[in-house]
Amino acid sequence: MSAVSTSPDWSAVAARARVRNRVTTGFLYVVLVLGSLPIVVPYLWLVTVAVSGRMGATTIVLWRTLAVLMPALVVWSVVRMAVVDLRRQRALEFALGAVTLVVLAAVTGPHLHTDNFRFLWNSNIADTLKGAGGVGKRYPSVWIAFGNSLMLAGIQMLLVVTSSTLAGYYLSRFDFRGRGGYLKGLLILQAFPAMSLIVPIFLIMYWVNLIDSLAGVVLVVAALELPFAIFVMKGFFDAVPWDIEMSAMTDGASRRQAFFLVVLPQVKVGMIAVAVFTFLRGWEEYVFVRTLIFGNSNWTMSLYLFWMQDDMMGTDYAMVSAMGLFYIVPSIVLYTLCQKYLTQMSVGGIKG
Amino acid sequence: MAKIELRGVAKRWGEVTAVEPTGLTIGDGEFVAILGPSGCGKSTTLFMLAGIYTPSDGDILFDGQRVNDVEARDRNVGIVFQSYALYPNMTVRDNILFPLRFKNVDKAAAARRAEDAARLVQVHELMDRRPGQLSGGQQQRVALARALIKEPQLLLLDEPLSNLDASLRLTMRSEIRALQRKLGVTTLLVTHDQIEATTMADRVICMSRGRIEQVGTADDLYHRPNSIFVAGFIGSPPINLLSCGISAGTMEVGQAKLRATGGEGACVLGVRPESVILGDGPFRGRVGDLEPHGRETIYHLETPLGPVRALEAGAKSRFRVGDELSFALSSTLVFDARSTRRIDGAGAQTPA
Ligand SMILES: Nc1ncnc2c1ncn2[C@@H]1O[C@H](COP(=O)(O)OP(=O)(O)OP(=O)(O)O)[C@@H](O)[C@H]1O
Ligand SMILES: [Mg+2]
Repeated sequence: MSAVSTSPDWSAVAARARVRNRVTTGFLYVVLVLGSLPIVVPYLWLVTVAVSGRMGATTIVLWRTLAVLMPALVVWSVVRMAVVDLRRQRALEFALGAVTLVVLAAVTGPHLHTDNFRFLWNSNIADTLKGAGGVGKRYPSVWIAFGNSLMLAGIQMLLVVTSSTLAGYYLSRFDFRGRGGYLKGLLILQAFPAMSLIVPIFLIMYWVNLIDSLAGVVLVVAALELPFAIFVMKGFFDAVPWDIEMSAMTDGASRRQAFFLVVLPQVKVGMIAVAVFTFLRGWEEYVFVRTLIFGNSNWTMSLYLFWMQDDMMGTDYAMVSAMGLFYIVPSIVLYTLCQKYLTQMSVGGIKG
Repeated sequence: MAKIELRGVAKRWGEVTAVEPTGLTIGDGEFVAILGPSGCGKSTTLFMLAGIYTPSDGDILFDGQRVNDVEARDRNVGIVFQSYALYPNMTVRDNILFPLRFKNVDKAAAARRAEDAARLVQVHELMDRRPGQLSGGQQQRVALARALIKEPQLLLLDEPLSNLDASLRLTMRSEIRALQRKLGVTTLLVTHDQIEATTMADRVICMSRGRIEQVGTADDLYHRPNSIFVAGFIGSPPINLLSCGISAGTMEVGQAKLRATGGEGACVLGVRPESVILGDGPFRGRVGDLEPHGRETIYHLETPLGPVRALEAGAKSRFRVGDELSFALSSTLVFDARSTRRIDGAGAQTPA
């Protein structure tokens, strides 16, 4: 065998690698799309019913939307796989998106309406209920529940962010008796299901007279959120080099000034992450508000939705869906605003 | 500017002794280097002077006054950390201005001083960048400007050049030296690079395992090392250390017998590679290996004394591997094997 014939045909090898790459990419897209269907369809249901349903759950828009989106997804996967040139890929994607939107508007447009959101501007919910007139009086304006949820989530978030930042800093920087045990304790606390505490928590709240008050729920949720938040913040502080702090102190700063001017800006991402997660946790809180809150003026969105669903089963899905949509909008907004920071989370890392 | 004194200063962490009781005086305006291998306590000594660590024992005096209990921020010490410890959230300008925030300097004057300090180390064109956008050398200079702007009475440099490439290190070495002469600030440089220490400092402190081995000029350390450690640590290529025994003026080393001036019992003979004069002399050897370095050649010789490294200047290597040659010893050092101290006046250059 001569030396020349042993050298492989590089262009053939490269071509094979390219084909293999494309097939893998295509396969991945298919798996991702199929895998996310079970999550996407319920949300799609919620959205379509909320904007098109009348009385019952009219699902015609859902099916039409799916009928448009699925082929569009397939075409998109093919475009991603088959078109190599990035420019052309962009253009095709753009065209595909435009066509999809137009078709979607054409087939669903006539069915869309905002009627189901009438609870937003009509504060007397009783008027707006169809077929369940009797129960209407129980319901305050949805904005009261919205405000309560906002307060619960917001105050709880402030408490957790402040305490976990201070505690995380202390745990990261200072050595004290029982520090190791404390850290292990934090982790173990996180491992227990909060539900198991529901009876003692109820009793304690009863003794301290915080039953049926938002303040009580705020304290309970914040306390349960704290261990993990402290742990996360400690990880972020651990990643801040020790010497910039020492440098600040030789530059004339007090320990507190060094903390605020030099260290805190380094853990901003961690604070935002903790803030977002605890806010959402408070926003979606159900178990403890269900247990500790009775009066309807203290209802949060989750309770409001729960009672709505309970009373309106089979009567007005559409409005319940609209309310559900209203409930998740703040979460989506928050995520969108903060995703830039949340995806940086791994930079700060979580180290023991 | 200040005169610095350490009186029996030691630092321990539980069982670990980082710095053994140490006495040392640094004159006003002097440039002193601490030289030693990694982990010998150089940074610890520096941090005690800066006030970041409190000594476990002993007193630190600035201009004759005890400063043990003076906080870091009140000591007016400028420090450049090994990692530079720039504040990543601030621009270069704010980094340099940082120390002035804690002094009563009005805005305009502070800005002018920052400009001057930046110009001094030639980073005035980078004022609006962030540390992350600077090269290692630029960061190092910003750190230097920040340390200098408060007009410190003591400047501490912790391996400031170790992150730089070879040519930049060379420039920065002379720049720092020139700057120190110009400002006349008492300076302590920590390094594990002997060339850095000997070329930059007036005096070199050689440390090993928390203890000061020797204090002296570069010349002292090289030609009159106190101990085997200093002899071995200073000089590149390193000194040849051959175990030997001396009795009644005769030294037995390997299979050879030399006439010894001074010394008795188990000793170590130290021969600097450039003290091995090749080509002529009473000793015979064979070239086992050689390393041409362009300007000079290092020969690894097999001799009756044992393996000996020899250094010969000159662009061309005069000998090849396997050549038999004669050589002489121009000067030698003798150390006591047990105490590892050098025996003053002892040497062995000629065969017995
Ligand atoms: N905070 C600490 N706790 C316990 N031991 C420490 C601490 N800081 C330093 N040491 C120990 O003290 C010794 C000296 O450390 P130091 O940082 O002064 O070394 P160094 O000479 O600066 O080394 P390098 O050249 O690697 O920076 C080391 O053995 C180190 O392990
Ligand atoms: Mg060090």
